[in-house]
Amino acid sequence: MEATALSLVWQNPKLGLHWHCTRDPPLPLHPTITGWFATKGWSPRAHQLDVLASWNDAASALLIAPTGAGKTLAGFLPTLDDLVRRPVEGLHTLYISPLKALAVDVARNLTTPIDEMRLNISVETRTGDTPSHRRQRQKLKPPNILMTTPEQLALLLSHEDSARFFGGLRRIVLDELHSMVTNKRGELLSLAVARIASYAPALRITALSATVARPDLLRDWIAAPLPEARTDLLLGAAGAKPDVSILASDERVPWAGHSTQYAVPDLYRIIKEHRTTLLFVNTRSQAEMLFQNLWAINEDGVAIALHHGSLSVEQRRKVESAMVAGKLQAVVCTSTLDLGIDWGDVDLVVQVGAPKGASRMLQRIGRANHRLDEPSKAIFVPSNRFEVLECEAALEAVEKGAQDSEDPSLGGLDVLAQHTLGMACAAPLDPLGYYDEIRRAWPYRHLSWESFERVIDFVATGGYTLRAYERYAKLKKTPDGKWRIANPHIAQQYRLNVGTIIEDPMVKVRLVRGRGFKTGSSTGPIGRYGRVLGELEEYFIDQLVRGDTFVFGSEIVAYEGMFETEAYVSRSTASDPKIPSYMGGKFPLSTYLADGVRRLLSDPSHWSALPDQVSDWLRLQRDVSVLPPRDSMLVETFPRGTQNYMVCYPFEDRLAHQTLGMLLTRRLERARARPLGFVASDYALAIWGLGDFGGLIRTGRLSLDQLFDEDMLGDDLEDWLHESQLMRRTFRNAAIIAGLIERRHPGKEKTGRQVTVSSDIIYDVLYEHEPDHILIQATRRDAARGLLDIERLGALLRRIRHTIVHKPLDRISPLAVPILLDIGKTPIFGEARESAMADAADELMREALGVAPKSGSRFSDKATPVKDAQDVEQRGGRRAGR
Amino acid sequence: MRKMWSNAAAAAPDAEEAIVLLHFAGHSFEPQLSGALFWRAEKMLLVADLHLEKFSSFAKKGQMLPPYDTGLTLKRLERDLAATGAERVVALGDSFHRDEGTATLLDADRLRLMALLGRAHWTWLSGNHDPAPHALGGVCLTALEHRGLTLVHEPQRGAHATIAGHLHPAATVHSSGHTTRRPCFVHDNRLLLLPAYGAGAGSMNILSPPFVGLFDFAALEVTMIGRSKLYPVSTKRLVRGI
Repeated sequence: MEATALSLVWQNPKLGLHWHCTRDPPLPLHPTITGWFATKGWSPRAHQLDVLASWNDAASALLIAPTGAGKTLAGFLPTLDDLVRRPVEGLHTLYISPLKALAVDVARNLTTPIDEMRLNISVETRTGDTPSHRRQRQKLKPPNILMTTPEQLALLLSHEDSARFFGGLRRIVLDELHSMVTNKRGELLSLAVARIASYAPALRITALSATVARPDLLRDWIAAPLPEARTDLLLGAAGAKPDVSILASDERVPWAGHSTQYAVPDLYRIIKEHRTTLLFVNTRSQAEMLFQNLWAINEDGVAIALHHGSLSVEQRRKVESAMVAGKLQAVVCTSTLDLGIDWGDVDLVVQVGAPKGASRMLQRIGRANHRLDEPSKAIFVPSNRFEVLECEAALEAVEKGAQDSEDPSLGGLDVLAQHTLGMACAAPLDPLGYYDEIRRAWPYRHLSWESFERVIDFVATGGYTLRAYERYAKLKKTPDGKWRIANPHIAQQYRLNVGTIIEDPMVKVRLVRGRGFKTGSSTGPIGRYGRVLGELEEYFIDQLVRGDTFVFGSEIVAYEGMFETEAYVSRSTASDPKIPSYMGGKFPLSTYLADGVRRLLSDPSHWSALPDQVSDWLRLQRDVSVLPPRDSMLVETFPRGTQNYMVCYPFEDRLAHQTLGMLLTRRLERARARPLGFVASDYALAIWGLGDFGGLIRTGRLSLDQLFDEDMLGDDLEDWLHESQLMRRTFRNAAIIAGLIERRHPGKEKTGRQVTVSSDIIYDVLYEHEPDHILIQATRRDAARGLLDIERLGALLRRIRHTIVHKPLDRISPLAVPILLDIGKTPIFGEARESAMADAADELMREALGVAPKSGSRFSDKATPVKDAQDVEQRGGRRAGR
Repeated sequence: MRKMWSNAAAAAPDAEEAIVLLHFAGHSFEPQLSGALFWRAEKMLLVADLHLEKFSSFAKKGQMLPPYDTGLTLKRLERDLAATGAERVVALGDSFHRDEGTATLLDADRLRLMALLGRAHWTWLSGNHDPAPHALGGVCLTALEHRGLTLVHEPQRGAHATIAGHLHPAATVHSSGHTTRRPCFVHDNRLLLLPAYGAGAGSMNILSPPFVGLFDFAALEVTMIGRSKLYPVSTKRLVRGI
């Protein structure tokens, strides 16, 4: 047995925090189970016994342990022990996993010891794939252990007999809790657990989690529904320190771009030196690009596969089983392989591109070598010079074991609306009792009675100030003051809309024979019935024009058009795709790493760890401009060509920079500085225009403190939000979750296109007439944290207040080169939409005047402002993501 | 990383915007940002596809859309009447999303509509959504002939000197990687289509199948509705898509 002294138990928070060590406790396991361990030659680990001790002490427990520590068995040991001693009929333990595949896998892994011990314990899964006859049977005769997902749990709870079904439940096991609590699934799950706790008085909760920044919050999260019970925080023994390094390449690291093409030969060599390598990238298009580049030099025919969310499910399953079977030497993947079951014998994890967050890196690194006592091996591969700094900061963070995971999110009103309808389907709701129950869900502990009532109103009649829909109400009040559903049809409707994961509307992409664009605009029939390559987001497809080329399914394809509900593409001979990217899997740069990058930059004593080409670049910056200060922000201004540039270096993640760019350009316009456009990266923001930004600042006509004043988050933000496409997209998700718009279902008449269009119109109408409606509130909340990252922008503006450093220059600075290289590479999304109309109007004018039309429609590249032969090469690796 | 924003108008700051005029069948019309068409010579305001009471019509099926679209559409009409001084309004059909819409109006909206009816002479043309005549006020017709023009809801192929609605035209243009989609006025020598006026109405790309055969593409003129100005655009920039 391992030294139990390593295992620390953090007990009884109510009486104040205190630590103590468990020391050689008597082995409390039932002899049958001890015997089974013995026949295997194993002994239970300390933290596994700690979970059992908590259970025997009638306490809930949060177990935090790294991957490979046997967490799952720890979760089930109390159930096995209890059921061996006191066999019961019916449901004893409910296991909730974020992934369907994980639930199925854990069920299988648990069945083995149960069979070997010849225990009479039934284990079943309930997922979207479970046939309806088995679902029926499960409801009548539940198994002892049921494995399911948050969405299926919500469905179970909406049934009229749910009180009976869950009444005898003793344990809930929440797996990979850290991955669920930061989003709306976690909010829904918290409400479900609070409901079950009200049904099952004897319930105790065991949660399993990877290491997080704030374990105390996670513990509170599972403690909230059972205020009478104690909740222990159990820390598993730390594994061996990972062996992490940054790729040392002799090649030149590019200024900008995300293709990481320079490192491909090194990566190929590294793959050949290892058994199985997982190569994580941040976006699907990076995955496509890297996969293609590796195969281009794969002379030895090494088995390298691709795995990301746009590929068809069958394709992904094929890759997974090949990996489990040990047939693959490398897999290029996105976050699709972040969680879940062990994919074979991985001995190296490579992070290609920016690490983004320390906790995420630690979890990814943990995917290598699922044995606690051996170090996991990982390599970081930066794709440009700023990423070198980020990798260095991540390396330090990993060495220190620093955690920067997100805190559990607070409850959204859209999720509460969905849950409320579900609970009314189960039984009439007593408002007072229901309000108390909701506040026992941690994310909703501060919910006000007023918000609660508005949510009920929303569910009943839409909650509009005009109160137009009383006679169509979904919820009606019974004589004894309870809310019940108006008719059974509403329950059916609810069940079709349950869940908080709103996929972007997807379009199937089918490869067909092309009709050739060079020869002219033939509109004749084209080859049909090719194979389906996968699916892409509808808004990506929408911006394509026939003939546009992009990388998909690991080849360059040309867009042919939409045919019914499918996008047709043909093989293209182009060597360089015109349209750089499609979205998917982009993570924010954590504030922790951002701070690390600023610290690294501002302090030359740290530069010795950097490659020479990077430290030379920073020294040059120090000599001709200044280094960005750690706790403030540098603003450089300089002329270039006929325009003036203002480059800021906040290092606060691209989304926050984009929002800042939107708001700053509005303010600059008002100050008559005549801004023309901007570009944002994870590190910097560059605005260009006709006004002399530097001169205006120097002569006091433009005050940087006023320009960056926090009050931009007032009216300016409001004005912009009203027009923002990002808000419309965010609204659509909230509206679907809350049940205002019906979810799309395969085979149902409403297509995603119609949903998208009408939700925009609904948003416009609602925003204009009732801007504080709960759905607009929910949208704002989501936008503040999500696509607009207003929270982070607010923190930035407070951080730099009155300390902004302005450096007027007469030419571009070394640090500004990467961000200026990004100009003109990727247009897209949302705003600025009028410019296309203005261009088309200008063209009409020129036609009328008989002037030759300006060349340079969509297909011509805009001039890249920085002319550096080598850098221009990099344009092949245009940026992925949104 | 993408260029998210650019402002072509800022390149020519403070340029006075000229009034956009549409010339059609020997007459001049002033398209409005709201989607209305003002015939100054006749002091007549043309609006198509108001779709009043559209959102409330979903409530019966359990979808409680915000019942504010009617109010917003009526507010637009108030503004247009005040701004243009029109004495006559012709609504080119689909004024109500359903015939029952005239009965489901909320009191405040009904009062508002009555006031509008008192401010001008109204002609309601019937549409496929609201075929039955109603008694709200004004005249209900299936079509109207005026100064050699035919005003009607649904456009027919081979029409001549006709102004219609029904199809909710929108245009998508592209330039330098940006695409913009907006409702638009569209006409050739024989047919002029108005965009949908209603706050709750959607729109449809003029290159999509329902428009096929209606227009002589060579003579097509498209005027898109921007946030604060109208854009007569080159048809070479039009693209398909939703």
